[in-house]
Amino acid sequence: MLLMSHRGGHQESKKKLEISPSETMKAEEENYKEEAKEPKSEDWRPPSVFGAADLKNRAVGLYNIGQTCCLNSLLQVFLMNIHFTKILRRISVPVCATQKKKNVPYQMLLLLEKMQCGKQKAVSPRELVLCLEAHRVTMFVQYDAAQLFLTLWNLLKKQMKNPELVEKLSDLYTISVQEHLACQICSSETKRNSSMLSLPVPLLDSDSSMLKTLEKCLQCFFRPEELTGHNMCFCEHCGKKTPFQQSVKLVHLPQTLTIHLKRFCFGRSAYIHKISNCLPFPQDLDFNAVLTEQQCQAYDNEKAAWKYELFAVVAHSGTTSYGHYCAYIRSLTECKWYCFNDSFVEQVSWDDVKSTYGHSDLYWGQTAYLLFYMKKQPQ
Amino acid sequence: MAQWQEVQQLPPTHLERVHQLYTNAALPMTVRQSLADWIEDQDWQQAAEPFSSHARMLFHSLLTLLGEQLGSLGPGDEDFMLKHNLRKARIDLQAAFEEHPENFANLVANLLQEERCILRRAQAKGQVEATPAPSTASQSSQEQEIQQRLTEFRTALQEAERAFRHMEDLQDTFDFSYKMYYRPGQDHSHDPQYAQHIQALQAKLQSLDRQRREVVAQIQQLLGRSETLRDFLQQELSAWHERQQRSCLGAPTDTCLLQLQGWFTALGEGLFQLLQLLRAVGELRQKVTYEQDPLQSELPLLEKRLQEQLTCLLQSAFVVEQQPCMPNTPKRPLVLRTANKFCTRARLLVRLHDRNHRMEANIHIDRDPPKTRGFRKFNILTSSSKTVLVGDSPREGLVCDFQYLTLKEQKGGGSGKGSRGTNEGPLAVTEELHLITFTLAYAYCGLELKLETSTLPFVIISNNNQLSSAWASVLWFNMLSPNPKDQQFFTTPPPAPWPRLAEVLSWQFQSTAERGLSREHLHMLAEKLFGSKPPPDSALPWTKFSKDGAAGFSFWAWLDGILALLHDHLKQLWKDGLILGFVSRKQEKKLLKVKRSGTFLIRFSESVLGGVTCTWVEHPESGPPAFRAVVPYTAAELASLALPDIIRDYQLLAEENIPENPLLFLYPDVARDEAFGPYYSQRQEGILTKKKEYLNQRLIRVSSRQPHETWQTQEELVMTTEDLETLRLNSGGQQPVSPGTVPGGDRTPGTPQAVSPGLQQAVAAGLGMQQPGSQIPVLPSPQQLGSGSLGVLQTGMGDLGLPVVLQVVQVGPGGQGVLPIGGGAVGPLLGSGTAELLLGNGAAELLPSGLGDLEGLPLQEPELEVGAGQLEATELLPTLDGAWSRWVSAGGWGAGGSFSADPPPPFPLPPFPFHPIDSAVLLDPSDPFLPQSEDVALPATASLFTADGDFPPLHIDASDFQ
Repeated sequence: MLLMSHRGGHQESKKKLEISPSETMKAEEENYKEEAKEPKSEDWRPPSVFGAADLKNRAVGLYNIGQTCCLNSLLQVFLMNIHFTKILRRISVPVCATQKKKNVPYQMLLLLEKMQCGKQKAVSPRELVLCLEAHRVTMFVQYDAAQLFLTLWNLLKKQMKNPELVEKLSDLYTISVQEHLACQICSSETKRNSSMLSLPVPLLDSDSSMLKTLEKCLQCFFRPEELTGHNMCFCEHCGKKTPFQQSVKLVHLPQTLTIHLKRFCFGRSAYIHKISNCLPFPQDLDFNAVLTEQQCQAYDNEKAAWKYELFAVVAHSGTTSYGHYCAYIRSLTECKWYCFNDSFVEQVSWDDVKSTYGHSDLYWGQTAYLLFYMKKQPQ
Repeated sequence: MAQWQEVQQLPPTHLERVHQLYTNAALPMTVRQSLADWIEDQDWQQAAEPFSSHARMLFHSLLTLLGEQLGSLGPGDEDFMLKHNLRKARIDLQAAFEEHPENFANLVANLLQEERCILRRAQAKGQVEATPAPSTASQSSQEQEIQQRLTEFRTALQEAERAFRHMEDLQDTFDFSYKMYYRPGQDHSHDPQYAQHIQALQAKLQSLDRQRREVVAQIQQLLGRSETLRDFLQQELSAWHERQQRSCLGAPTDTCLLQLQGWFTALGEGLFQLLQLLRAVGELRQKVTYEQDPLQSELPLLEKRLQEQLTCLLQSAFVVEQQPCMPNTPKRPLVLRTANKFCTRARLLVRLHDRNHRMEANIHIDRDPPKTRGFRKFNILTSSSKTVLVGDSPREGLVCDFQYLTLKEQKGGGSGKGSRGTNEGPLAVTEELHLITFTLAYAYCGLELKLETSTLPFVIISNNNQLSSAWASVLWFNMLSPNPKDQQFFTTPPPAPWPRLAEVLSWQFQSTAERGLSREHLHMLAEKLFGSKPPPDSALPWTKFSKDGAAGFSFWAWLDGILALLHDHLKQLWKDGLILGFVSRKQEKKLLKVKRSGTFLIRFSESVLGGVTCTWVEHPESGPPAFRAVVPYTAAELASLALPDIIRDYQLLAEENIPENPLLFLYPDVARDEAFGPYYSQRQEGILTKKKEYLNQRLIRVSSRQPHETWQTQEELVMTTEDLETLRLNSGGQQPVSPGTVPGGDRTPGTPQAVSPGLQQAVAAGLGMQQPGSQIPVLPSPQQLGSGSLGVLQTGMGDLGLPVVLQVVQVGPGGQGVLPIGGGAVGPLLGSGTAELLLGNGAAELLPSGLGDLEGLPLQEPELEVGAGQLEATELLPTLDGAWSRWVSAGGWGAGGSFSADPPPPFPLPPFPFHPIDSAVLLDPSDPFLPQSEDVALPATASLFTADGDFPPLHIDASDFQ
């Protein structure tokens, strides 16, 4: 319901107007349908699958249609990633209209086409938003970008029918690690392979003191942890609860590596507050220089490829309960940084990206929350 | 100016871009040119939005206008091409966009935006080229970046304001239609027109909503950029803070704040403008709001973010421009003496203020004093609040200048009379750090803040002799403290890494005597502190720097003594690099060994506080080269005779040959007079025609040595008086290199014997100072002194007024024969041409002694009638008796009092090479210009920066430092 209230000089004329938004929306949708009709008739494929737009992901804004800054930022990170759009452009188009409406990859592709083919400086992600709502991803509420990223990615993966594409998508984003759990008494060890979509790195070390750089955070994440006291686990060999050492070893890193900075800490009671302290992150990240031999479980040729450069930063300003997201993305085709504030897109410099390092004095300033690193092409 | 006009005036490189822009554009440039004003007046951006009816309207207006334009063109041939082009464009446009006029609107909107972009770039570039005109070369890329970002920020702000006005228009339109057409509650089901109105109303609301979101996104973006800009300014400010700290320590840096003030003010202005804009947006929201109104949720966030930015900017913009400093010691700020006035100044770099709001700044000392036992408490006398002066010129800015402040210690009520007594804390007075905090109640544009800034910690002393060690604390703190407000720094002072310390020490010399320390100097100091071959990561502990010292004084006291000496007496020589200064004995030998005989260098004594000495090399015919050094000269000696003059006239008396000046070449190989010529004091040429009442006089220094002594030289101050010409010096042929500079050579025909009659000499001989408690008295030994052996050059008539006060030397009437000698300490002078002087044996090894403060030999003007030949045979007469007894009575002698009674032994005593014998001059306690005898021992800590009246010789006028 679109609700309007009218105030100002004419207090007495304050009245409420109820216009059904669904009506107008319907009207607009019909408009779109008409547009979409043409290509639909002949076994439609996006016109530029192999066209120029494929190689040139132009920076185009996305209108905020009501608290969608988080979604917009993530969409930009997806759509500016040419490795992702290559996959997206190969999806099969759903047959019937209702399926089309509910198909997230397809709606995303439509949005990409709208952004790349149109000459507008910003487009509205309305259809995609409606589509997501159909999957119970309600909009108009504050979202945590990391959580929404996971949701979106899972929806994409689920709805891509082609198993080859699903695999490609997984290859592009998932990190493989091996979890080790070793009893400190009998040295028996259990291993488990698992994959993650992002590395959730802490900003505070075990003593609750601030970590100074991203590299330190990563080291902290891969540091073995002693499970003693209350945290002791039951050891089958010893037949009792024993102290364990828990560690995570890195097995594989994907083309697009997502790092989630856990910029929040739990204070007294349930109150969560945001850590706005400065955490510098490098433009170039070499995992071989960050992790020790013991923290990796990979062959040399895999490790040789662990050289990354920063591709995107999703930054948050505000508090944990409410704020604003924007994205800094380095265009892979132009090698220039852009800042996406919903519909407002601007070319920026690395210094602007650095301003998202955070600042302990600024509680409302923008701080990097999700970092996306891209694997460097081997020389 | 209209945009299209501006575009046409672009420089060629940018114009090229415009041409490129229109090469493939569907809108021909002809059309853009013909309808320039109209095109710029329309809102294409809004028309370009989907479902805008506006687009069609605009498109058709354009076609109509083109038609009109065609009609208005005359039938003449001159416009033929133009007419053709316009006609063609009209047909093409109609064909291309009739179906989708919004595409056309989008096209035009984009073109206009691109044009603006090109203009902006050209503008920014132009400004970068235009603004730094005065300091183009020095402008770093960072400064350019800031300048450019400020320009961009302003432009973006203007764009945001434009977008805001558009939003205002949309809202007004909507508001009007809403009031006109919206009639709820009535049955309109049969009124198709009403439904149409409502639909239009809904569309208007949609576009208003979109514009609101647009504005919000734009402001978000602006805030993001301003954060980067503020980061940049913060970096520049931190660099300035660092520079200021270094400059406090004497480093030659620029601490001007004007540029920073310009930047801070520009950003502050921008942010305040944005604040106004946000408030205006807020007012619009007050008038119209609806569900999902982006302003509802986003505005408070934006406001909070902006206010935080402003607060942060203003807080950091409040800086202490001038650290507390006493005007009489401007080179040593951050050391304050109780009851002495000092000043300090703070500045707000954001030069924005409300004329109606009186801004008052307050200062507090030690608002949060450290809880250290015995930490002294002080009050600031005179007013501690001040209204901020608002100067109109940027040079003045928003400044609160506190001058004429003084500090007074709070005496604890019950702690008795002793100021510290049992309250004595763990820290020495000079290690106790104090802070002054400035607070400022700032209000502007409805933003009220309490700004605060602090000075660097300073040391409060109550006596000038604490100045030197207080300054050591200031050096240590500013060099090493990671926290500029850490008042507890000296509870655990960290050691100083040598490279850092070396740099700071060099600044001390730079600021005192305009020449820093060279690599060699620093190497010597490092070896002195850390032993030979010091590791590069050596660090010096605080106690070793300022407290302990093998020689009885600390490293810092030693250096500060040298600094004082440099400042008072040797500034020019040091500045011009004539003083090698810091050379170890080992290094000194190495340097001189390979040089010819008579090569000398000037270095600072390592054993005497504030002493300078000359070392020269002699290559005997056989055997290894000999190195000789004279007993160090200290400020007291140099006060009576400047070092260049000492060097010029220095004499070495030796038994077996005629006295000579052993100092011939300044290391490495510069003739003495060539090196020091410019520094010799002026000597007036005698005017032959004028009858003189007095003989001229001159002070020289001599050393004597005995033939069998190889190392010891004893130094004495010799006073000569003469008329025009002199005794010939160095008649043995070792004439100094440039004879022209030594007046009184043989060149004046007939003069030598005849015209140099009145020659008199007061020799302060043999005042070898012993270390107290020494068992073996150093006795003066008689020595032969040839009358022709004294280097004597003429001094002018004006000598009467010279500050050198000379002890009277009685010369009998007629000027010949034996002069009266009292005390029997010296045997009567014998025969013409010789005088027996008592000369002590100078020990080679010089050790510090309390006699460093010796004074110039006071001599009275001899009452000699100048007459040619009259004084011909006059011999020198040392008035040793008087000197001795006076010296003894002055109490400067300690155990040596018996000397005066002791007749001199007939034969020279064997030398005591390890007992230091200081150079000495007679002290006349009655001399009003000299300190009284009680003052003989100067406190070791007295330094050149003392401004107290206690020690006249060390008195420094503030103007000295200007």
